[in-house]
Amino acid sequence: MRRPSLSTALLWPALLVMVPLLLGPLLLLAHESLKPFVGGRIGGDESGALTLQNYAQIADPQYVRYFLDTFRVGLLATAFALVLGFPVAHFIVRRAGPTMRRLMVGGLVGTLFLSIIVRVYAIAMTFGPHGPLSDFSRLFGISASSPDGAELMVVLGLLNSTLPLVALTLIGTLQNINPRLEDAALSLGAPRWKTFFQITVAMSLPGILSAAIIAYAFCISNLVVPMLVGRGFIVFVSNLIYFRFSEVANFPSGAALSMVMMVISVALFYGLLSLVRSHWQEAGK
Amino acid sequence: MIQSVLDLQHVTKRFGDTAAVDNVTFEVARGEIVALLGPSGCGKTTTLRMIAGFEQPDEGRIFISGVDVARKAPYERNVGLVFQDYALFPHMSVAQNIAFGMKNRGVPARDIAPRIARVLEQVRLPGIEGRRPSQLSGGQQQRVALARALVTRPDVMLLDEPLSNLDAKLRLELRHEIRAILATFDCTSIIVTHDQEEAMGLADRIVLMNKGRIEQVDTPVGLYQRPQTLFAADFIGHANWISGTLARRAAEAGVVETKVGGIAVAPGAVADGPVTLCIRPERLAIVAADAPADTRLAAVVERLDPVGADLRIWSRLGDGTLVQSLEKNVGRALPAPGVGVTLGFKVADCIVLPADGAAR
Amino acid sequence: MKRFADALFQTAYLSLVTLFVAFSVIPVVVAVVLSFDARGFVGPFPPTQFSLRWYDRFLADSYYHDGLVTSLVLATSATFIATVVGALAAIGLHHATFRGKGLIQAALLSPLVIPNVVLGFGVLIFASRLGILDGMTRLMMGHVLITFPYVMRTTAASLVGIRASYYEAALSLGAKPLGALWQVTLPLARTGIIAGAVFGFVTSFDDVGVSLFLTDAFTFTLPVAILAQMRANLDLTIAALSVMFIVATVLIIVILDRVAGLDAITGRGVYGR
Repeated sequence: MRRPSLSTALLWPALLVMVPLLLGPLLLLAHESLKPFVGGRIGGDESGALTLQNYAQIADPQYVRYFLDTFRVGLLATAFALVLGFPVAHFIVRRAGPTMRRLMVGGLVGTLFLSIIVRVYAIAMTFGPHGPLSDFSRLFGISASSPDGAELMVVLGLLNSTLPLVALTLIGTLQNINPRLEDAALSLGAPRWKTFFQITVAMSLPGILSAAIIAYAFCISNLVVPMLVGRGFIVFVSNLIYFRFSEVANFPSGAALSMVMMVISVALFYGLLSLVRSHWQEAGK
Repeated sequence: MIQSVLDLQHVTKRFGDTAAVDNVTFEVARGEIVALLGPSGCGKTTTLRMIAGFEQPDEGRIFISGVDVARKAPYERNVGLVFQDYALFPHMSVAQNIAFGMKNRGVPARDIAPRIARVLEQVRLPGIEGRRPSQLSGGQQQRVALARALVTRPDVMLLDEPLSNLDAKLRLELRHEIRAILATFDCTSIIVTHDQEEAMGLADRIVLMNKGRIEQVDTPVGLYQRPQTLFAADFIGHANWISGTLARRAAEAGVVETKVGGIAVAPGAVADGPVTLCIRPERLAIVAADAPADTRLAAVVERLDPVGADLRIWSRLGDGTLVQSLEKNVGRALPAPGVGVTLGFKVADCIVLPADGAAR
Repeated sequence: MKRFADALFQTAYLSLVTLFVAFSVIPVVVAVVLSFDARGFVGPFPPTQFSLRWYDRFLADSYYHDGLVTSLVLATSATFIATVVGALAAIGLHHATFRGKGLIQAALLSPLVIPNVVLGFGVLIFASRLGILDGMTRLMMGHVLITFPYVMRTTAASLVGIRASYYEAALSLGAKPLGALWQVTLPLARTGIIAGAVFGFVTSFDDVGVSLFLTDAFTFTLPVAILAQMRANLDLTIAALSVMFIVATVLIIVILDRVAGLDAITGRGVYGR
């Protein structure tokens, strides 16, 4: 028996709290982004006519670069996270005993819970100039002090956050794949590596893509990692928005950047996710 | 007139364009156990959910003890429900589970503990008040679920596939036990099941449903011996089918012309025209060529399947129709495959059904 | 040939798992070791002498202390509001049948996807338009916004695992819908709600993106305080502080495992062992 009145009643507190908190800021941001910027004051010009100049400014190659950097570095971190995260999730689901599983899941959740500042600090100390792994960047033929070195550090910082995210998501996926299918493939004469790729990975594809989307959404909206280890060489759009607010108090420009970034994030997330879902529902999975 | 405790009148429920339950009407008398039987998707579960109050009928009325409850919420009806998965609250003890309904129905606090003890005795699980549902076996959970529903003395008990989650042996044991428990409480009950054996073994009467409609309402024996539709004859037990054309004068014995010759049939309500004859395997026998039998058909034995104490003999009639007959496996000499035999049956054992049914 | 390929695969597989573990553990170990470094500067690893000087410095610093108090008060109250409102909303949506249910759900979860910086910036403008200049109130607005979706999502996930028949059984036993929710659905969703609240708390406590916009000179969260200090001077007080964070995180994980079980987060899966 579904009583519509009750379920609506339970929703009301959330709607009363969340709708103003969500819509108010976003509508005001949209409005702010259309105001002309007048130097020397906080907030856009109230009296002036609305303008699209703040958006036009973003199309400038100089700005587009920040967007491209954000998307490229985010993609790198996501790709590494998948390559490392999938075997770990597989290991936890299929091979680890109860204690090992508990320990590793605890470690993953702990990493996720640990303050991102602390994690990035620890990475900076480990891979930084005095750290025990300061030579790590040389493996890639990169000098630690170069812009590429900064990019590597940002990738490592993001990776540390996305890894538990990806691994935990994939644990959920792999748990729902029948282990007998892997056994069946092996009994049909497929070697382990083939079984792994043709059965396990292939069947996890929707989960892998979901994990990738979640990780990517996290990466491209990140602020702390580029701020702490980007050394100005790597600046994400989030940093740019914060910079507009804190350093130059250009609210309209920051608002326009925010609107663009929000639209991209939301569209990427829900667009890709629904694409993944509809594709795999059609295929009958 | 028998007082009916439950009375469904022209109940219809649609989901989108399809009618899950279509103009269903039946009554249940006090103390009676009625089974709603049918294949999955026949509307039996929807009917049960409407009686319980989880769905509301689009048309028709549902009376419980003379009150129309069709628009009432589940908690406004005095109906006991045993779920297919038992739905024992996992975070509560057995006693808390059983007390739940009594508390909500305003049983005085001092009566609750004695009534729990008593009902647990009645379902033959005394002293398990403190256990958690997860500590009970499937059969025990089933009986606790029964106790939880029965303890508030509902007007009607509803049991949704009560035995489907148990293994075959336990199922048989519990079938008798459920019957005994329901009899103890003299409780008017509806049992939803897709298992004909369960329905036959538990119910006084069976409501056979198909595609949202009632096919037939009858006693278990009546349903088996006097099916009124092809579906009913096909769904309950095994059957041999011979199609033909009935020609006779009204209400008199007639003859059905078939590909294997004319077959005499008893007087009945079925109109002249195309019909299907149904003969139960145990009513079809291999007979000596000169033995007395109302109807004889020539056939060739094809295969012998032992089924426990019986032997199922598959033979082919002259037109190629495969028929089965059941013989007691008592050491008599049996025909070998390929041997020609005569199959005989009585006029009374040949059921005439209108041919335009959905089955077959 | 097959065996060789398999051995190669096995090696690659285990190396990746090892690499993962190493990458996750080594920085933590480095931070812990450095926090006991006796040197007054950031020197080559490993330290040659050990002391507790950075812990003394961090404990004596009222700046961190103020930030910690603010963060605790903020995370606790924001989580409380988000948990009450978010769990109710999840249950309401779970039972809802009306059109547009999916849209409402997506909208309520959207703060998970919108960059925190955007949310922080937006709340700042919104609060100033409403005339709210008090740091704590502004922070509370932002933090309820970001913790709510975690509670709602986790509660919703745990509701999926609760069979509908429990709720219906309660109704058939005479419970009214609200009573059935309170006595049956809510206790069964308990672990999910607790896990969601823990996630919400941690999200609030660790947040930087939203808080950076909403703090003022007197009300700042611990992460914002650390960030300010890090940019001022990169000494090892932060390492000592990191160890505090690590200890606190381990405690949270142990408590979470005891109360809700870590399986509440990952689930057991259809083929769970």
